[in-house]
Amino acid sequence: MKISVYRYNPDVDQKPRMQTYEVRPVQGMMLRDALLEIKKQDESFAFRHSCGEGVCGSDGVNVNGKNCLACVTPITELAQPIVVRPFPGRPVIRDLVVDMTQFYEQYRAVKPYLIRTDPMPEQEIPQSPEDRDQLDGLYECILCGCCSTACPSFWWNPEKFHGPAALLQAWRFLADTRDQATEERLDALDGPYKLFRCHTIMNCVEVCPKGLNPTRAIGRIKDLMLEKGL
Amino acid sequence: MSRQASGVIAWLTQRVTAVYLAVFMAYLFIHFLVDAPADDQALRAWVAQPMVTAALLIFFPILLSHAWVGIRDVFLDYVKNVGLRMILLALVAFMFLASGLWGFKAIVIAVIKAGMPG
Repeated sequence: MKISVYRYNPDVDQKPRMQTYEVRPVQGMMLRDALLEIKKQDESFAFRHSCGEGVCGSDGVNVNGKNCLACVTPITELAQPIVVRPFPGRPVIRDLVVDMTQFYEQYRAVKPYLIRTDPMPEQEIPQSPEDRDQLDGLYECILCGCCSTACPSFWWNPEKFHGPAALLQAWRFLADTRDQATEERLDALDGPYKLFRCHTIMNCVEVCPKGLNPTRAIGRIKDLMLEKGL
Repeated sequence: MSRQASGVIAWLTQRVTAVYLAVFMAYLFIHFLVDAPADDQALRAWVAQPMVTAALLIFFPILLSHAWVGIRDVFLDYVKNVGLRMILLALVAFMFLASGLWGFKAIVIAVIKAGMPG
């Protein structure tokens, strides 16, 4: 089985190139296993990975033109020849390793934590099961970055548009009944860039390895803005 | 443009105007397909019907505000240089203003002439 991978070391190479490796497929092989095989053949090849079971979100790559997590993508599902590239639109540090700084800055910008104005209770802040259900489909995000780096709006304005991953988390805290900063959060999201660069292209929904729906979350934020604003 | 108007209001404007455009343009399409005015005079008579006149007078500002949000989105996405974006937006604004005034004039003239014999 042939796998073509993107190779680029900015310190040495003039420009990026594609390099093809021969990997012997085994039953149940995930793309991450195949990349590890390549790493055995060629130690200079670099990619990020950690848990190997779709939890840490480290090994997001672009395979045959679609972003995915290498560790949960069976190679049998991929059309040959397999072409593996780094996330589109991100500066390449080396080979498949990209600089995700802007992605994390956008995440930080939505204040992804509970904000309380009331004094903190002695123990926990109770929540009804129905209120807790509001967070399903939101809290599962592992911040792998597959969605935001597949989003054309994020490609054009990564320094201004929050991107689907951060906006999913923005909604996760707006939807949380324990959070008390709804107005501040909505005010912070208004303006033409942070939220409204989303044109419901829905690449984010298509690529999310956890099956989440950032586009719907963004729609909910817009609905809430209207509800609070009119 | 205030900060408020640049985000949620712009988005809402585009959504609401889209509803009017969808309904009115469907009517225009069907009308011109089924019962197209035979000549210039018939067209003017059609425009002079009070309901059509009113619908057309609303149509132009709605169409242009819908298009304004859309074209502004395109420039925000693709034109990085702020100076160039300002020039492009200003050009489009003038063009839209002129188009709107021209549309208004055309409707008014049609209504006036339809009222005159011959």
